[in-house]
Amino acid sequence: MLWLAAGLVVAAASGAAASSHRLTGQSAPDFALKATSGTNFRLSEYRGEVVLLTFWGSRCGQCPAQLSAVSRLVDTYGAAGLAALAVNVDDDQLAAAEFAVAHPVSFPVLLDPDKAVAKAYRVDNLPMLLLIDRAGIVRHVHRDHRSGDDKAWLARIRQLLDE
Amino acid sequence: MKRITSLGLPLLAALACMAGSVLAADAAGADAPPDTRALDEEIQAIKKDVVDLNRDLFILEEELLFPANTQVAVFLSMDVGDFFALDTVELRVDDKQVAKHLYTPREAEALLKGGVQRLYLGNLRVGEHELVALFTGKGPQGQDYSRGAQVRFEKSVGAKYLELKISDRQSRRQPEFVIRDWE
Repeated sequence: MLWLAAGLVVAAASGAAASSHRLTGQSAPDFALKATSGTNFRLSEYRGEVVLLTFWGSRCGQCPAQLSAVSRLVDTYGAAGLAALAVNVDDDQLAAAEFAVAHPVSFPVLLDPDKAVAKAYRVDNLPMLLLIDRAGIVRHVHRDHRSGDDKAWLARIRQLLDE
Repeated sequence: MKRITSLGLPLLAALACMAGSVLAADAAGADAPPDTRALDEEIQAIKKDVVDLNRDLFILEEELLFPANTQVAVFLSMDVGDFFALDTVELRVDDKQVAKHLYTPREAEALLKGGVQRLYLGNLRVGEHELVALFTGKGPQGQDYSRGAQVRFEKSVGAKYLELKISDRQSRRQPEFVIRDWE
């Protein structure tokens, strides 16, 4: 957890909403994780769709609001090729599953118990949202979440859906 | 090095050809309509060259990283699958984890349709080695099910291919896990 804690401190000091990230413009690292539903999901199977990949934790204050916003976007633009995956980084997987039940969303909530995926994506802030294009390239990274952020994402999502 | 040079030649030639045609189109002046069909064909040819080059580099990389005298590959196949729904396979060689794969429903379906997955490709020195495969999933009654299979094999000079085969044992109504050596 040290790497995550250090990252959180750095991100807080430098302004968490900054969108520069080492993975921007790079291929999104592939992964397979088990969802709270028990089904396994693999990112590369979403190639051809625009993916919102969000990292969240049950103790993160802004995470429920972001998950709700992402869920609304997927409900609206799912038919156009927008998908979402939420990766939980909690140590306590049971708490994560309970949180997911209490905050139902319309996309898979995945569990990352050994934090391997969070490390691969260099998660330094919660929540953290990545926009991945149809070719599997990370195009935008958003840290933190504020009310109305989903409107800012929308232009970028529409652009990616049109590509 | 020679091979890399030869692989790059078609791409360079195609790029030069494309640049030449663009310059020629410019020289023809604005009066003549641009021949977009020819340009499109050239672009397609370049794309094909890039794909071919990528394939050749991939093969070359595999030959360099996994030379035949040390190469070991492990494949996974499934047959029927009425008594076992695959979730995870963990592979250990000489007590060291070398591969772990989590299967999505789509991947499991592909295996059931006859697909063969290369689960591991690595290098081992000549001599005796042990391979252990741990399978987890859902058993005949939908319960959590975990089984292992183990084999000792002799790695000689030349590539070694092993296959993990999951099949249904109808007589016992249980899944069967077998490790087969492709001689």
